[in-house]
Order: sequence, then C-alpha cells, then structure tokens
Amino acid sequence: MNNNRRDFLKQSAATIATMAIGSPISQLLTSCGVKNESNATADAVIVLFMAGGMAHTETFDPKKYTPFSKGMRSDSVLSTFKSVPTALDGVHFSEGLESIGKILNKGTVIRSYVAADLGHILHTRHQYNWHTCYEPPQSVVVPHLGSWIAKELGPKNEVIPPFINIGQRFDVGEGEELKAFHSAGFLGSEYGPFMIPDPTKGLDSVRPPVGMSQKRFESRNQLYEKLVKESAMGEFGSDYQKESLKRSMEQAYILLNSPEAKAFDLSQEPKEKYDIYNTGKFGLGCLMAKRLIEQGARYITVTTEYVPFEGWDTHENGHTRLVGMKKMIDAPIAQLIKDLDESGRMDKTLVILASEFSRDMLMEGRPDLRVLDQVDQPDVIEDIKNYGMHRHFTDGCSMLMFGGGVKKGSVFGKTADERPCKTIEKPIKIAEVHQTIYHALGISPDTNYEIEKRPFYTTPDGKGKVATDLLEKKA
Amino acid sequence: MPSKIIGGQFGGTFLFFCLAYSQALAQDVAQVEGGFDFMQFIGRFHIVLVHFPIAILLLATLLEVFSFKNFNSKYRPSIHLAIIIGGISAVFSAIFGYVLAQNEEISGDTLDLHQWGGFSTAILSLITLGLHWLVLKKKQNSKISVYRFSLFATSLAVIFTGHYGGSLTHGDDYFSFSEPKATSDKSSLLSMNTDSLSIENQIKLVGEVRAIFAHNCYKCHSSNKQEGKLRLDQKEFAFEVGKHGKVIVRGEPENSELVRRIKLPRNHKDAMPTKGKALNEDEIALIIFWIEKGAPWPEGSLQPRLFRVAKMEPRKPILPTPTGDLKNPIDLWVNEYFKQNRIEWKPKVDDRIFLKRAYLDIVGLLPTASQIIAFSKDQNPNKRASLIKQLLAQDEEYTQHWLTFWNDALRNDYTGPGYITNGRYNITDWLYTSIKQNKPYDQFAKELLSPKEPSKGFVEGIQWRGTINASQRVEMQAAQNVGQVILGLNLKCASCHDSFISDWKLEDAYAFANIFAEERLEINRCDKPTGKFADTRLLWQNFGNIDSTASRAKKMEQMANLLVRPENGRIYRTVVNRIWKQMMGRGIVESPDEMDNEPWSQDLLDWLASDFVEKNYDVKELIYLIATSKIYQMPSEGVKSTNLLYDNSYTFRAMARRRLSAEQFSDAVSQIITPIFTIKDLKYTGTKPNILKPAFARASLVANNAFLTALGRPNREVVSTSRDSQASLLQALELTNGERLTNVLARGAKYWKAQFKTRDVIIRVLFSKALGRLPNNSEMKTAQSAMDENPSIEQIQDLFWAVLLLPEFQLIY
Repeated sequence: MNNNRRDFLKQSAATIATMAIGSPISQLLTSCGVKNESNATADAVIVLFMAGGMAHTETFDPKKYTPFSKGMRSDSVLSTFKSVPTALDGVHFSEGLESIGKILNKGTVIRSYVAADLGHILHTRHQYNWHTCYEPPQSVVVPHLGSWIAKELGPKNEVIPPFINIGQRFDVGEGEELKAFHSAGFLGSEYGPFMIPDPTKGLDSVRPPVGMSQKRFESRNQLYEKLVKESAMGEFGSDYQKESLKRSMEQAYILLNSPEAKAFDLSQEPKEKYDIYNTGKFGLGCLMAKRLIEQGARYITVTTEYVPFEGWDTHENGHTRLVGMKKMIDAPIAQLIKDLDESGRMDKTLVILASEFSRDMLMEGRPDLRVLDQVDQPDVIEDIKNYGMHRHFTDGCSMLMFGGGVKKGSVFGKTADERPCKTIEKPIKIAEVHQTIYHALGISPDTNYEIEKRPFYTTPDGKGKVATDLLEKKA
Repeated sequence: MPSKIIGGQFGGTFLFFCLAYSQALAQDVAQVEGGFDFMQFIGRFHIVLVHFPIAILLLATLLEVFSFKNFNSKYRPSIHLAIIIGGISAVFSAIFGYVLAQNEEISGDTLDLHQWGGFSTAILSLITLGLHWLVLKKKQNSKISVYRFSLFATSLAVIFTGHYGGSLTHGDDYFSFSEPKATSDKSSLLSMNTDSLSIENQIKLVGEVRAIFAHNCYKCHSSNKQEGKLRLDQKEFAFEVGKHGKVIVRGEPENSELVRRIKLPRNHKDAMPTKGKALNEDEIALIIFWIEKGAPWPEGSLQPRLFRVAKMEPRKPILPTPTGDLKNPIDLWVNEYFKQNRIEWKPKVDDRIFLKRAYLDIVGLLPTASQIIAFSKDQNPNKRASLIKQLLAQDEEYTQHWLTFWNDALRNDYTGPGYITNGRYNITDWLYTSIKQNKPYDQFAKELLSPKEPSKGFVEGIQWRGTINASQRVEMQAAQNVGQVILGLNLKCASCHDSFISDWKLEDAYAFANIFAEERLEINRCDKPTGKFADTRLLWQNFGNIDSTASRAKKMEQMANLLVRPENGRIYRTVVNRIWKQMMGRGIVESPDEMDNEPWSQDLLDWLASDFVEKNYDVKELIYLIATSKIYQMPSEGVKSTNLLYDNSYTFRAMARRRLSAEQFSDAVSQIITPIFTIKDLKYTGTKPNILKPAFARASLVANNAFLTALGRPNREVVSTSRDSQASLLQALELTNGERLTNVLARGAKYWKAQFKTRDVIIRVLFSKALGRLPNNSEMKTAQSAMDENPSIEQIQDLFWAVLLLPEFQLIY
C-alpha cells in the first residue's frame, strides 16, 4: 500500500513538474536576471524571527552587567544580565543563551545590523521592511523574501510548499498590518506563504479534513476525478483556467496524501528530542522546520510571533520577561543547528536569526534621529518593572547566521560599549542582508520583474550589496 | 575498396586539422593586444565566403537535374567544376565560420544548428566530389545514383545551414515577421542625404533617435539608472565617456561603441539592449545616419512624445448600417472588426449557458433550477433581453455584486491596514447607495473627487504612521489613484522621478497632487527634497485652470467639475472599458489602468464612451447594451495561457472564459448548499439582507478572511482592478481541507439528508442547482456508485465537494 502510494507520488510529481512548464500568472511578468545555481552555497533558508524587537545588549551583544538596585539611574544600565562565554574565545552572549553560545563555532554573530529609519517606530512597519526589503507603503503589493525565493527557485520537493510560515496568527492586534507583508504581492498568490499559525496543529493543514478517514479522502478524490472526465464541459476544450484548476487540485491531493506530509506531524519525533524542542510554540516551530528541511522545504520562517506588547515587545518588565524569552529560544535553536548538522543539511541550509530592531532603556530611535518616545521610563528606577530595555532602538541590532556558506565561528561588526550602544563598525542594512541571502542561493542581484511596466528588483533598484565578509567564499 | 571513401576521409581529416590549427592560432592571436586582428578578419570573411558554396552547389544540383536523363549531357564538365569549387569553398566557409564563432563569442541553439549544418555540408560536398570523380574518371557507373543522392543531400544541407545562418544575422523572424516599414518620417529623414541638415531637420532627426533611446535604453541609461555610467536622456550626458570609452563619436559611427553594440547578434554578451527587443534594421540605420551627420542635438529640440498617447476628446464614429440579425451597435462595430480580421460569427450559446453568464455578471448569483426551467420554456423571442432588464432591476442583488468590483478599485474594505489608527475611511455606505441608485457616473466620479464626508475615503487615502516615502504621502496617493482608477493612467513612476514608461514628468505629478494638498508640496525627487515647487494644475494644460490660491476643497471641486465634463473623453472611455472587461473578461484596452494603450477597436471604444455620455452616464444602460448584444451571447473563448489574453497581438474573437470570483464562488455555495456566511458576519447593515432563502450574507458584505483571500479577494491596501484567475496550490488546499468549506458542506449534507429522501433525488437536485442541468448517464452512474441508496451524510458531503470543485462549476462558459 505504502509502496503504491510512493510510486504514485513519484509519477505525479513528475507530471506536475511537466505541467508547471506551461505555467501561470507570473508568466505575464517579464523576468530579468539570471539564476546561477551552480555558484550557490545554499539551497534552503530558515529565518528564525524574534518578533517584537530583541535587545542586542540583552542577548547576543552583552555589555557591562548592571544589576538591579532600587534608586539606580536608568542611564547607568548597560545590560541587565551577566555575560556568559561562547564557543569562541573572548566572545560572550547574555546569560540564558548558553546553548546557542556553544554552537557559535558553526556560524557568525552579526553585531552591527542597522534597521531602517522609518520615523515614528512601529513594529509592523519595520517587520514589513525586514521581510520585503522595501519600506512601507509601496504603490504595489510587494513580495515577501520567501515569495521571491519560491518564485525564483521553486519548490525543492514538489509536494512541499516552497514558502512556509510557522507561528504567526493574524487575528491579533495589528493583524491587518501583518497581512500586508505576508504576501507574494505581484508575483501571484501561488508564491504566497503557507501559513501554519500553530505548529502543534500543523498536520491539520496537510492532511485530509479533520474527521475524514484516508479511505474516504481517496474515494472522494476518485469521485471528483471521474466527474471531471465525464463532465459535459469537455466540449468546451481546454484552457489555462481549467488546466490550472485541475493541476492545483492534483497538487493538493498529492501533498495531502504524501509521505512527506508526515514532516508536519511532530508526534513522529522521538520523545527525548521532542522534549528538547518543546519550549512552546516557537520551539516546536523549530522542530517542524527541521523536519521540513529534511524533507526538502525551500524557505521557512519560524517566528516567536508578533502580538503587540507580548514576546520580545517589552514595554515594561523587560528584564523579567527576557528570562522566559531566552528559555524559549535557547535550547530549540541550538538543537536545530545540531540536528541539521548531523543530518548533513547544515551545509546547504542558511539559518538566520533576526529581529526587526533592537531596544534600549532610554533611546527611542537612534542617537541622531530620535523620535517620539512610546514608553515612559523614569530617570531613577524604583520598581523592577522599569528595569529592562523598553524603548525601540534601531542603531545596533544583533543577528545570527549559520550554514549555507556562512563563515564559521566569526563575529561581524561591533557596537559601542557605552550607552547608547550603537553600531561603530561594519554597519549592515536590510538590502545587504537580503542580497547576501540571494547570493548564497545563486539568485542574481539583477533579478527583477516588470510590474505596471516598471522594473521591480529583489532589493530596491537591485542595489543591495553582498556582505562578502559574512561568507566563506568571496563573491 | 578503399578508394571509395578516400575523398570523405581526406575531407574530414583536413577539416579537423584546420579547425584545431585555427583554434590554436586564434588563442595566440588573442593574446597579442591591439594591432590588426587577423583571426577576426578571417572570421568575418566567412560572411562573404558562404555565398559561394550556396550558389555554386545549388547550381550543380540544378544542372544535375537537367542531366537526369542523360548523365553525359553537355553540362557534365560544368557540374564537375561546380562541385570542385563548391566543395572547396564549403570547407573554407566552415573553417572561417568556426573561427568567427570563437572570436565573437556567440552561442545558442541557432548557432549550434548552423555550425553542424556547415560541417555536414563541407563533408557531404567532399564525399560528392569523390563519388563524382569515381563515376567520371573511373567510369564506375554503378555509383551514379549514390552520387546523385549525395549531391541532393549536400544541397539540402546547404539550404538548412543557410537558413540558420540567415537567422543568426537577420534574426529568427526575418522571414515570418514583417515589421511595418519605417514610418514615412524615418525614411524621409534617411533620404536627407545632403551634407548639412537644416536646424528643423536636425531637431526632427534627434527626436526620432531619442524616441528609440527612450523605448529601448532609458530603463538602464537615464536619470533613474546609469548602467555602465551611461545616460542617454540628456545631451550633456550622452556624449560623455562611459565605462567602455566613447559611446557616441560624432561623425564616426564605426568608432561609436553604441553602434557596435546594437549591431551585435542578440546572443553576444555585449549586445544591446540587454532587456526587451533588439533594435530593428531601420532603427539601427537611423542611429548610424544620425551619428554620421555629426549626431546633431540642437538646443531647443523638445523632448519628443515618446509614448503612445490616446486622444482626449470624445469621438462618435458613424455607426455602420445594420445587417442581417445585427442591430445592437456593439455588434455592428464588432462586425466591422470581424470583417477586417476575417473572423466568423458563431451561433449563440444555449439558454443554460446564457442564463448562468447573465446571472453571474449582473447580480453575481446562480440562476435557480426553476428559473432555468421557466426560462427554457419561455417562447418569447425577446426573452433574453427581458431577462437582462429584469436582472438589472434587482437593485439589492445587483448592488451586492458590483460592490466587489468598486471596492477593489477604490480600495474600500471593512478591515485593513490604517484603520487601527483612524488613518483611513470606509465609504461603503456611500458606495452601496450610489450603486443601488445607479447614480449617473459623472455624479459618482464627482462625489469621489470632490467628496463630502461619506465618500472621502478614496481621495483621503491611507495615512500610514511614521515617516513615509514622499511619493506615498496622501496627496500623492490621491493623484496616483485618481489617475489610475478614474483616468486610466499611471502616475506611480512619475511621482518619484520623471517617468520612463510615459511622458509624465515629476512636476506633472506634483502639480496634480497639489490639488489635493492644503499647501503646495515641495517636489521630492526619489525621496530627496529639491527645494522646488510645482504649480497647481490638471495633467493636461489646456483642460481648464485650477485656482492655486483656493482652499483644498475648492481646488478639488474645480478639478472634479473639469474632469467630468463630456469633453473629457478619457474619463468615460476608462469607465466603459472597465465595465466591458467585467462583462467580457478582457478589456477593449488592456490594462484597463493604461488607457494610452491601443484598443483592439478604437471605434467601439469611442462609440461606447460617447453613447454612455449621451445616455446620461447610465451604467445599467451600458450593461444592458453589452448583455443584449449578440457578441455577449457567443461561446466564450478559452486561451492556453494568460499571456495570449494580454499580449499585444491579441485578436478579439469572443468573451474570455472567466473563473468565479471569491465572492461568486462563496455566494454560489451559500445558494446551493447552505450559507457559508450568515447574517452575523455582515459588516455592512445599511440594507436589508437579500431576499434569498435561506438568508445568507453576500460575500461582498463580510470582512476579508483566509477563505476569501485564498480564492483571490485582494488585501485592499492598494488599488486592484483585475483579479488573478489562475488557480494555485494554496487555493486548492483551502478548498480541499480548509475548515470553512468542510464545515459548510457537512452542515449542508445534514440538512439535505433530512430534506431529500433518496440518493438519486439528491444527485439530480445537486446537478440542477450547481450546473443548471441534470447529470448525464455516466455521471449519474459514477455518483450512484459512490453512494449507498440511502446515503450517509458523509457521502452527500463528498458529492457536494466533488461537484463544487468541477471546472464546469467554477468557470463561466
């Protein structure tokens, strides 16, 4: 039975691949830019997104520890955690990130990401900018990074959607603003994100409807296929709509019926491993990402989820809440890297940890471009709830990169050791981050589509530069 | 006998030797910088040389035909000579050709074919020579037929090779594609072969040249982008030294890098333009001529009109006389078009297809089974027209359908970015009422452009929080959206910098945006302030003035009054084209947002727009006219790919086949099975819910959700005037295992199980409701075999699913 299904799957995947040649809406777009997959150092991407603004000084770029004491001055605080050593000599992370620290020899920590200057600071606008490389609003709907990659490289395994987004719900505050960039935009809906808001229910998205047995699912599909053949509409001949309807149904059936769909089923994982990952939705999202990459996923985002004033979005109790946040990410991320390494996928999988911007206790915006404060912070701290990084800071943020051709055991950029801890060496912006990802995947910087007769590039005007210092091989 | 193959063997070895030698030589020569490039000379000599084997070998073949009856005819010596010269020249052509290919770094399929053809020709001609020699000198008469066969094979190879060689030099479409001859302007310019051109002619000449630059080069070489540091849009830059030396050398086309590049074959790495079509021979000739004449670019030569611009003024062409059954003016114009394009009328579609089409297009719902039966029994010859009238009179249903189209275009929605901080205004109440009242379009547009509170959402746009790009400030959004939706033109490019897709300048966009501004806006170029300010004016200078000192409201009122005047043919061409596209699947002009593009029938478009004005801007009247035309009743046309539908070469034959919209699909499910959205989901309650039973909320009246998004309802943060009709995996997944549809079908199955007793009744009712027909025998059998005689709820549910997903259900035939 299983064998048969697998055979069927192979055949059908081949059919889809053939059919995909006579393809879709996006064909209307005139494409420019050459793929150069032969130079690619990566063929898959995982973005671990720390939504809500992760303070660099409290995580991957710790400064002098300033313990809490009543009556302390806000401007005296640098880090609210101790530093701990990492696998690299002289490089420290913040307390609570020991596991990730131990695997830093497998990747690079970037300490000089500078977020865009969008004025009055808003999470969803900066997230839009991070994920699309463009500043909102735009006069056309802009594709997400994952959609560009899905469009340019297609699925790696025909039955796994090429762009999967794990962990974000839309029925939360600013949900509409979140929807605005979780989109394939003008590339066409087929390259849009496959949304799995809750990884524990991920399987529901890829199996027959809840309550429907496999047998019933198959006979329902047979009924459909027979009726398509017998339908009187044969007399109207074929056209692209009919063909694309049939093709999409066939693809859906294959995915819902495929052995690969088991990748979405976390209960298949051995308990010991499951437990390491299980720090909540985010940790399980990492586990799902691992399983999907092993089955041939192309692009995955796992987010800690953006919900206003939750997660990394600390407007008070910053210190206390970060203890929990670090616990949530530390073990699963380290385990993800280890597992990918063991399965041999690490070499070709680019893993990126990032946040839309950083935080500071006092500085809203950046030193030269201060904007309206959104959080009250007393000059003198009496209550521990005021102890933490509560304002939005854009001038120095940390990122991690592993695998896919990224240098191993390396530190990129530097921030000042005194407040405000802004970038002082090798500032890197979003266009360079994106171009470096595209470069690793072998997608040319000239890649663009003509939309409303105007060329639209992967990075604004195609001008993003590859940050070669991040990569083992020079560009 | 070894001597038989000597010729061939020798030829092959010789060829191989020459190739190897020439390659080595080419490499040596390439290492010597500068000086006379011998290899390049040899290579280019190929082009001259190839004509020898072509002519001479074909001549030999021709003479051989004349000598068919008598081998020893008087032509025999000539044939022998021809084969010798032809063979040798073929060998040298092949070698030189190989050198050429190496030197010019050309590659591609055409080249490969040509190259192998060339080698084969050379070898075949040597074999032929050998065989001929055997027959002639060794008297081996038995070889005559082999020799002749070989000669004919050689001439076929010559033709094959010559064809691909031609394709390499002249382009693939040299034979099949006949470019319209140079415009009289261009050819008359070329014939101005006097040494000095008058200033007037110089201006004309540079104008034509710049038009070529604009269409083919500006994308990468103008104010927006300067690849290779080259800018061709202004005189002071065009003659600068670029990254690869002097691009244009006055009077010396042969030393101008630009000329070298545009003449290169398409697949050469240096060939220009890299994007879009290659320049045609006339264009190249014109540029060379211009440079020969010293590349004159006199001061005061105006930027020529670079892009097609549609006429503003209305035009009402005289209707052709009615013939036969053609009375509807639309049909008369279509008939003219059909005659020109030699297209035949087809018979009208049957009642069932017509009914589904008309219902979905006018009220967005499916006809019920009893409506279908009643209609098919109706003997009235005018029943179709009466039906259209009756559907248009269903105000509520009509409004709930057309609301979707206008919501997309005016980016009006119940939820979306911006509402969270009151940065956006909903206009549903005004829009619903206006559609329902069938408000004359001039009034409708006026209320959008110069709004009172209820309709202000469109021009107020979305106020995003934080700092935004200058080209997205609300005043500029208004200019862009009024341009796009109301006037069918694209100002998006020009709101950041001078447009390279139209003649609009940055200043035009700012002048227009100033109408929507309290105070004049400082011009920002690519988001950088320039310190300059534009006037306050409409996009067309001679269209009436706006008082720049007036208040914002007054300025907008003046603009609205000027724009809706009947003299503005553009605004009405734009709207009739939109309605046409909604009804027929493809605009008379595509895209409907670019009304400067060429319509497939200017007469039809102009006539419809003028008629629309005469009939008091009555949208329902326009829909009636379209829906009662014969062309609306023709079978729809399915195309193999969306490209064909929007391609420049599109020929109109019939309505384009369409897919149900997200709203039409949802409403159909609500109608057939059970409500997918209920009264509780209504986001707009300013109306009585529809009269249908059971009562359900039309999808146009509910908030966007994952189900509707998957089926194509856009996030209305930008204007959207056409929906993506392509199915995708994500859609299919939503339909196959999505919670919403699954639950609705399960609920419906329960309800049906209680209502209908037997399997066969259920099958028949479902087919009638969903497809407007009974199942045929094999469908009946298939459905029966999937269900027990007393079917379970699950079985009913699965039948629902299978039928609703049929292309026959989802497409409008």
